Amino acid sequence: MNLYLLAPEISLCALAIVVILLDLFIGRKWILGVVAVAGLIVPAAFTLALWGVNETSFNGMLVVDQFSLFFKLFFLVIAALVILSSTDYSFKFSAFRGEYYALVLLSAMGMMLMASTRELISIYIAVELTGISLYVLAGFLKDPKSSEAGLKYLLLGAVASAVLLYGMAMVFGLSGTTHLNEIAASIPAGGLLANPALLMGIVLLVAGFGFKIAAVPFQMWVPDVYEGAPTPITAYLSVASKAAGFAVILRVFYEALGPLSLDWGIIFAVLAAITMTLGNVVAIAQTNIKRMLAYSSIAHAGYLMMGLAAVSTLDPGALGPSGPGALVFFLAAYALTNLGAFIAIIAISNKIDSDEISDYSGMARRAPILSLALLFCLISLIGIPPTAGFIAKIYIFTAAVDYGLIWLVIIAVINTVISAYYYLRVARVMYLGTPLSEERVPSSWALRAALAFACLGVLFLGLYPWALLRIAETAVSIFP
Amino acid sequence: METGIAISFWILAAVTIASALAVVLFRNIFHAALFLVLCFFTIAGIFVILSADFLAAAQVLIYVGAIAVLIIFAIMLTRETQRGSPSGRLRLPALMVGLLFLATMVFIVVSTDWQVITEIPDQPTTSAIAQALFSGEEGFVLPFEIAAALLLAAIIGAIVLVRER
Amino acid sequence: MVVGLEHFLILSAILFSIGLYGALAKRNAVVILMSIEIMLNAVNISMVAFWRYIAPALMTGQVFVIFIMVVAAAEVAVGLAIIIAIYRSRETVDAEQIDLMKW
Repeated sequence: MNLYLLAPEISLCALAIVVILLDLFIGRKWILGVVAVAGLIVPAAFTLALWGVNETSFNGMLVVDQFSLFFKLFFLVIAALVILSSTDYSFKFSAFRGEYYALVLLSAMGMMLMASTRELISIYIAVELTGISLYVLAGFLKDPKSSEAGLKYLLLGAVASAVLLYGMAMVFGLSGTTHLNEIAASIPAGGLLANPALLMGIVLLVAGFGFKIAAVPFQMWVPDVYEGAPTPITAYLSVASKAAGFAVILRVFYEALGPLSLDWGIIFAVLAAITMTLGNVVAIAQTNIKRMLAYSSIAHAGYLMMGLAAVSTLDPGALGPSGPGALVFFLAAYALTNLGAFIAIIAISNKIDSDEISDYSGMARRAPILSLALLFCLISLIGIPPTAGFIAKIYIFTAAVDYGLIWLVIIAVINTVISAYYYLRVARVMYLGTPLSEERVPSSWALRAALAFACLGVLFLGLYPWALLRIAETAVSIFP
Repeated sequence: METGIAISFWILAAVTIASALAVVLFRNIFHAALFLVLCFFTIAGIFVILSADFLAAAQVLIYVGAIAVLIIFAIMLTRETQRGSPSGRLRLPALMVGLLFLATMVFIVVSTDWQVITEIPDQPTTSAIAQALFSGEEGFVLPFEIAAALLLAAIIGAIVLVRER
Repeated sequence: MVVGLEHFLILSAILFSIGLYGALAKRNAVVILMSIEIMLNAVNISMVAFWRYIAPALMTGQVFVIFIMVVAAAEVAVGLAIIIAIYRSRETVDAEQIDLMKW
């Protein structure tokens, strides 16, 4: 048992405890945010020190490889950005800042473990660690809307994890083990039709994990929870929780159910088409910007699932990256873009105290830089160059074309055109509307730094995507 | 012996299903909670039939002793009894989903060829569970450690949510 | 009549369906929580039955059930905390208007 392999998670948990303890003794609460962000350097340093290692520990339950290390770093960066962007928001729960940061850190720990365990019990506990922290964070404001968001998220999340558990029980009953590699070895020949229990297990697993990534028809919690939760947590949910869901899906489906990839690939292709269409069509009708971005995040779950549907590139001389590689790249691009958009929204809605799109009228004159950043992120969400969103869509579309999913790509392109309408509507209101007042919108340095990081990241990935694409391809190369 | 087990299984199964139905069908929420306790007890009995003695005890301690008591506390604290337990708009679709799920599962359970081992495992299972949980070489130490962090998160969360500002 | 694996699995499926129905159909948050507990118990029965009839040598099935119990307790604690927080804010802010369990 090599504890050093667990060092990033252990140090992150220790950081959470330090933040809670400091909260007891320190009067100036802003220090907590600084400690939480600065402390994230420690787990990040451990992750980088482990870079290139390919080992397992804890009886094969913990696996440290390029895939898990990539996602660990990814979640740490997102946690740092979320904490930075919370500084302008935390006056709403000033008495509980320490607990807030600690829960963000603990949920990040859960997500890191989701990406790096190879055994069903550990996966389940990691999913629940993430879930419970996020349920509390969603209800953190304790006003009726936020509490309702927390309660809905908890109840539906608990139903989803019961379904997930039932699927795990089926898989366990057929294989007699919870280790993913042993499950793969025990899958009987003859495909799914000869084995209905395994098919049911897979369907239940897709349903349980589909909730985490907000895929239709398990998306009904998304709009209410995204609207009611504190805005930094909405950003966190839409980005990190979704990414963790995809990481665990990749791990489980490739490592344990790899021999059946033809069967579950089709399930994901159909779900992808339904999810992106429903998300985009309903988003058009939204008047609240958080709800609009909620449906946009459902639509993006659809685009992301194209990477799962394009199981692997059959043709060695194919044009683009593999499905999982494009998926990982898309996750990174989407994370930066969506975080950027939400950070701008946090600053603006703090001033105008509203999330209605109509209240953003003339915002370009009141907050020129914030509006420009928001516009840039919206352009990236549509997928227009020179942004990360454009490259990510090109990659994932070519991966799907290489796999022969032309019909899915056509649906996705139509959806992209539909989505341009509601994203650009926000831009039109901001740039062509008349300002409701002349007051400027203030923002803190921490928030500006986080916003600058996100926007520059989006621009950088839009111009030089190759480095990250190579990392993404190495990360998913562990899957056969 | 066999028939004794069979008879007790059928009785316990019938009571479990009846009390679970009572939980979701009764309008009086306090009665529903009491039937939930009964349901937990009979499931402990099912565990005994399955020769999982430790789990039967844990079932009584955790589900009856902790979870059911917490739920009854919550009912008392929020005076939920006055509102009762009405069904929402989704009653009929929910019924369809439930029945469809049940039919599918029954079909799958019956049509699958399970690799059954009939010999009865050694009892008591307590020491074997302890070995499986904590032994360094083949144990489930990692989920145990994550569960510690999970409980920490749950404690912090519950305190934050309930405390007045 | 000999009681076998299928009997326990079907019992588990019945319980799970009852819980699923309750979780989807009910409006009272506490009742939904109770239904979820029934679903988790159904899964537990399946797990233990699989341990007993499929893989009795390893204790994996039983260990899984122990972890499910831990998580269930934590989830109920957090859920009831949120319910109490809602009850408080509703009692002080607005008793009548908010129908919180509107899905």
